[in-house]
Amino acid sequence: MIQLTNIEKYYANKGVKNYVLRLVTTTINQGEFVSIMGPSGAGKSTLLNIIGMLEEPTYGTYNFLGEDVTSLNERKRIELYRNHIGFVFQAYHLIDEMTVYENIEAPLLYKKVGSSERASRIADLLDRFNIVAKKDLFPNQLSGGQQQLVGIARALAAQPSIILADEPTGNLQSAQAEEIMALFKKLNQEDGITIIQVTHSEKNAQYGNRILHIADGIVKEDVAVIA
Amino acid sequence: MFKLNLKIAWRNLWKNKVNTFINVLGLSIGMASCILIFIFIRYQLSFDENFKNESRIYRVVTNWTTADSFFESQGTPKPLPPAMRNDFKQQLDKVAAIQGGGGIIKVKDALGKNKIKTAEDVHYVEPEFFEIFDFKWLEGNPRQSLSQPNTVVLSSDMADKFFGDWHKAVGQSINFQNKTDLKVTGIIEKMPDNSSFPLKVLISYKTYLNRALPELKAWASVSSNSECYVLLKEGISVEDVSAGIPQFINKYYEKDKISKEGHKLQPLRDIHYNANLGNFANKTTPKKELYGLAIIGVFLLLTACINFINLATAQAVSRGKEVGVRKVMGSLRKQLIFQFLTETLTITVISLLVGCVLTEAALPGMKSLFKEDISFSITEHPIILLFMILLMLVVSFLAGFYPAMIMSGYSPALAIKNKITANAGSLSLRKILVVVQFAITIILIIGTLVVLNQMNYMREKPLGFNPSAVALVDIPSDSIAITRYHTLQDRINKIPGVLSTSFCASGPSSSSNNEYNFKYNGTINATFQANTKDVDENYFKTFGLEIIAGKGLSKSDTLKDFVVNETILKKLNVVNYNDAIGKAIRLHGKMGYIVGVVKDFNNMNLHEPISPIIISSDKNSYTKIAVKLDSKSILSAMKVIESTWNSVLPEYVYGASFMDDEINQYYQTEQIMGTLFKVFAGTIIFISFIGLFGLISFVAAQRTKEVAIRKVLGASTIELVRMLNGSFLVMVFIANLVAWPLAYLFISKWLSGFTYRIDISIWPFALAMLISMTITLVTVSIRSYKAAAANTIDALKYE
Repeated sequence: MIQLTNIEKYYANKGVKNYVLRLVTTTINQGEFVSIMGPSGAGKSTLLNIIGMLEEPTYGTYNFLGEDVTSLNERKRIELYRNHIGFVFQAYHLIDEMTVYENIEAPLLYKKVGSSERASRIADLLDRFNIVAKKDLFPNQLSGGQQQLVGIARALAAQPSIILADEPTGNLQSAQAEEIMALFKKLNQEDGITIIQVTHSEKNAQYGNRILHIADGIVKEDVAVIA
Repeated sequence: MFKLNLKIAWRNLWKNKVNTFINVLGLSIGMASCILIFIFIRYQLSFDENFKNESRIYRVVTNWTTADSFFESQGTPKPLPPAMRNDFKQQLDKVAAIQGGGGIIKVKDALGKNKIKTAEDVHYVEPEFFEIFDFKWLEGNPRQSLSQPNTVVLSSDMADKFFGDWHKAVGQSINFQNKTDLKVTGIIEKMPDNSSFPLKVLISYKTYLNRALPELKAWASVSSNSECYVLLKEGISVEDVSAGIPQFINKYYEKDKISKEGHKLQPLRDIHYNANLGNFANKTTPKKELYGLAIIGVFLLLTACINFINLATAQAVSRGKEVGVRKVMGSLRKQLIFQFLTETLTITVISLLVGCVLTEAALPGMKSLFKEDISFSITEHPIILLFMILLMLVVSFLAGFYPAMIMSGYSPALAIKNKITANAGSLSLRKILVVVQFAITIILIIGTLVVLNQMNYMREKPLGFNPSAVALVDIPSDSIAITRYHTLQDRINKIPGVLSTSFCASGPSSSSNNEYNFKYNGTINATFQANTKDVDENYFKTFGLEIIAGKGLSKSDTLKDFVVNETILKKLNVVNYNDAIGKAIRLHGKMGYIVGVVKDFNNMNLHEPISPIIISSDKNSYTKIAVKLDSKSILSAMKVIESTWNSVLPEYVYGASFMDDEINQYYQTEQIMGTLFKVFAGTIIFISFIGLFGLISFVAAQRTKEVAIRKVLGASTIELVRMLNGSFLVMVFIANLVAWPLAYLFISKWLSGFTYRIDISIWPFALAMLISMTITLVTVSIRSYKAAAANTIDALKYE
């Protein structure tokens, strides 16, 4: 599904190249649950951003679903966002001016899903995540864990094949974090959604089935998690 | 999607109430000003429209060219219309003369008793006039109603006034000038306000011809009251007619004169806008003024839009996260732009509604300023609605597009991580916009100061005579009235409070001027024309004019002595004024001698230089009696003068004005301009400074952390305020530098229209700088002090 070949990323600063990623080559298959781990500044988030096409690599090629997406025009990229990729953020990034319902609805509007289909999908998600009662509340009226649930619901609304999560539990207390990770695991196992998450926590990484250890921009270890 | 956008927009506006308030306030004031200016311009542009043959209707106007002057009049010689009708048969469909005048109209009631006695403007009109202009006839027939002598057509409002109801008017008669009875043969609809033809009492032209005045044959005399309108034949152009005019002039006019006549065809739709030529309504608005107003409107709107752009881009950072999230959810940039424009549109719509309320509130003030009946009625003038919609879209786009582009352009990776700062690029643009905004503001401040200064200068400049407490009382000039002049003067002189009286054709300074050729000292004609004034011997005393050589006029009913002014002698190269005394002057074909020289006085408004003037006596030319009053008893004396006048001249209608007021009338345009400048400068200053307040609020909020850290490091509150204020003061200073040369160009152009004007000094510029810097300092300091004095911990805690 995802094929990264010799991905390099550096920022030139006064002629000095500051490498963030060096020669990253890896393949992620459909249905995997990958955790990217490593110390601060190792390049985890950059790697996730490149996978999410939010940043372009300086060198190397990136194939997504068999297509070279190394440098893609806006329209094509947006197409992928609408149909294949869902993002989950550490700081949830719900839109403050929209209610829970509207937040979940937004990607469907961009995807131009018909209104009845939209309503049923949202109802389904609200139901599944137990947040029906909260649908008319605004994000600042929710707890962090609830906000992240909405964030995941929003990412799932467009029925993506892959979810990219940048420290999804980083701002949460451990009980809530566990709940979110269990949900990810369930989505991966029951719905077959590919999940790539960046995390600091060894414990969270155990929910997945593969861990990429990164340090100084280099993949040091690529290990499978034995359940 | 649009509905959702609208909902989000509303929530966002509600969240940022202060910004929204500033934006709505600025935009609504800007838009209200624009709407006001638009409805005024629309009204002005609607003059004389909607005649069926509009594009083929022209007025024949006359001009004279001499070696050093050019003079134009809207009138034509009285024999011209029939001559044109004859000589331009091929080109002109219709030619019609119309003669303006005035007189006393009396209407008797059913019992034969005088019911109404009133002085009214009348117009003598040829029937062809109605074939050129398709006025609406309520009764009567355009071709026949005025075909006979002693017939009159009334406008419906006038007929209502005379007979109670216009339906009853036809067939009745009115008495004109105590002489002629005129039979009412038709009624036309009341003329609208936006017409150059205030026709109320239309008397058949044949009635006028019946008077058999000598000037009916005179090609040499032109009164501005004798106008001539023509209707071109279909397919004939103005050039076709103009081509025949030189030949026409050769045929009828005396050759080898100092001044050479010429005729032009003035299009109907130029009449209201050409200030060099007047019209019967005495209302002209040069297009230049309308353009000036339009520019002010654009400036106002621009200032308000700049506020919006500045606040929006300043605020953009906080929207960055949303942009990022939306982008990864699959929003196209286009969709984001659309969303932000929806937000702007929402603000604009709210502003427009508030603007309409402001417009309605400001309308009475505007009406009284322009003395015009301007209406803000969308049903009456749907174009106003169209304008408002257009205004709304333009403003939304102008104000919203740039911020929308900036915000939608954020990179999602950075936006999501809150790594977007008020980046240098947009900050510098913001600086440029602030400079532009303040440059406009400062230009208007300087302009206002100069206009007010010049107005003051004109008010206080000595005119060479004393216009205060002098009443100009109209007197009839027919032969019966003339015989009673003496009685009138004697009786007025006896009224307590009257210091002196003088018969004259006009005051020393007047808008009605006559220029004639003359001969000096028996030589050939002078190379220039002289302005003549017909006055009696008391004129100099009444108006406080100073004789600087020789003596004033002696008592005489006919032309005998002359008093000339300094200018005429300078033009004739007479150095020692005493040399001129006793020299002969030939004027109007009559000979007389110079008995005195009067010190120069301003005989026109201060736009114009002093003319060469010849003053002499001619009893038949007097139209006014000037009464110098004791300033303490003006009111009481005027009452007695009116009753005395009415008892001496019972057949006529009393009318009077004050010299002061007449002089003020010259500067009506400038007074309006002064008021407009004050109002608009105030408005722009207000808009600019609320914008500045919004901007400093934002900058202060953004730099809260920096301020807090500096404070921890030991900076004092004053130092912090100075740091926050610095860039704003620099921007306003730069705006001053930008504004000065532009303002200089503008005011020197404006002042060059006055012969008598103030010198451009540094003061208005310096004062504008002082004002703008002071207000900036105050506005900015209020906010930055608050930021600097805030609790340090609150700012640092969140990081």
